[in-house]
Amino acid sequence: MEALRADFPILTQSINGHPLAYLDNAATTQVPRQVLEAMREFEECERANIHRGVHSLSQRATDAYDAARATLKAFIGATGEHELIFTSGTTEALNTVAQGLWAAGPAEAWLRAGDRIIVSGLEHHANLVPWQNAARMSGAELVILTPDAEGRLHEAGLATLLAQGGARVFAVTACANATGERPPYEALLTLAKQAGALTVLDAAQVAGHAIPNMAALDCDFLAFSGHKMHGPMGTGALVGRREALEQLYPLRLGGDMVEDVSYERAIHAGLPMRLEGGTPNVAGAVGLAAAARFIDGTGRAPIDAHLHALREQAAAGLASLPGVRVLSRASSAAALVSFTCEGVHPHDIGTLLDQAGIAVRTGYHCAQPLLDHLGVGPTTRASFALYNTADEVERLIAATARALELLR
Amino acid sequence: MNDAMNELYQDVVLEHKRAPRNFGHLAAPTHQAQGTNPSCGDRIAVELQLQGDKVQDIRFSGQGCAICMASTSMMTEAVKGQDIAAAQALQQHFRAVLTGEETPEDAPLGKLISLAGVRQYPSRIKCALLGWHALMHAIAQHGAAGGDGAVQAAAHDGATLQTTEAP
Repeated sequence: MEALRADFPILTQSINGHPLAYLDNAATTQVPRQVLEAMREFEECERANIHRGVHSLSQRATDAYDAARATLKAFIGATGEHELIFTSGTTEALNTVAQGLWAAGPAEAWLRAGDRIIVSGLEHHANLVPWQNAARMSGAELVILTPDAEGRLHEAGLATLLAQGGARVFAVTACANATGERPPYEALLTLAKQAGALTVLDAAQVAGHAIPNMAALDCDFLAFSGHKMHGPMGTGALVGRREALEQLYPLRLGGDMVEDVSYERAIHAGLPMRLEGGTPNVAGAVGLAAAARFIDGTGRAPIDAHLHALREQAAAGLASLPGVRVLSRASSAAALVSFTCEGVHPHDIGTLLDQAGIAVRTGYHCAQPLLDHLGVGPTTRASFALYNTADEVERLIAATARALELLR
Repeated sequence: MNDAMNELYQDVVLEHKRAPRNFGHLAAPTHQAQGTNPSCGDRIAVELQLQGDKVQDIRFSGQGCAICMASTSMMTEAVKGQDIAAAQALQQHFRAVLTGEETPEDAPLGKLISLAGVRQYPSRIKCALLGWHALMHAIAQHGAAGGDGAVQAAAHDGATLQTTEAP
């Protein structure tokens, strides 16, 4: 663990006189030296625009970009029927899908008036608001697959909605960022696929430890962010089955996404360039690929097991404090613990934890509808990454106990 | 944790959080407004009984963090019985202290001085100002006085305001 932590220089600092315990990884993970070095190497030795130049640097930059795409396709288990589009992150990826499915217009778009879009009730705003807009723009109906009182999704609930007919899209998260709930997304995607819907999986919250295998899923589109898997901020990807990606009308029109242009019309290029208009973030793609190599080099299974152990330790310790409710207590696959404290507001806990050097997130976690549905309001959320330790979790529990003592 | 205890969570602040003053509803408010903080869902509604230019009575309701509840509670104590201009002046002093534009020693804040520590925690300033935004917006319905300023301040501090007409 010491050697692994040494790869993350940011962790060595003190915050408010205490060693930093960075437990806000569900918002953003930290970057290891390997990623920083890969990006620096590109910027110092290979930086040039891609696909445009005949000179050597341009060719090397193009090669680096293509190699990054290949690395990430392997990371996600993409097969020959898949393609990977670089985006600025999960939010852009999901917007590219939601808008792309209606932007071709009523005659050609996948989404039309009278269609139904089913979105799970676990989603953060980035996998809900774009679908609200898609429904409004296309005339489709937005339907929410609501979780039960414990925040769990059930196959039977989706089957009932699908039986009503007309479902063209089903969107779900691989892990709810506000509660840590891990829905049975494999089975849900299969059900929706069998009913003829395009399926969308938001994998942002699991990219750093349990990225799904695209080849094994009934998944048409999968989105993830670089900054939640130890990669650079402002990077991410949309992975999709080629024929599903072909349904998306390109939203960024301009250079590098066209095959032939006259003053009157443009013919779009093929995938992946068709959905990557403009000069891409090549250094970011290189860094994202380095992050994927870092995760695989450390080992996905050991990382996953480590995070689950930390989550269980935190959930058990926090739940033992008086008046503390741990959301999705049984979700053993989660890498985060979200909790409420009777009579004490999360912002006050967050400030007091920060004074003890512990960084957590407080509030709605961009998932207000879910927390409203569960009737819990804002929460305090601690989330874990491969460099976190059992000692840091103990500090979290002890500092929370002290904060409750003070504030009650 | 000691720093935050000393600067932010003074005894008087925690006491107001535990037993907020003027909490509840007025029988017949003449003016009211609600402030919300979209990042945490905190929501404070302020009801006023204005008589001429005077705040005859005031109540607040809603939920928020300790800073938000204590600040709103102390605010109601400070402006009750005062005229509108005094309430606006106090809001401006309080806000100026929190944003570092005025030193606590130079501001006539009374008991509210106990919240001056918030200026060391920029992310919490909007908590301390939420109830004040609602107050300013409720007052803004009273003629033209102060309306635009209140709305701009709210936008700047990351809070949003919803107003409802008095019944």
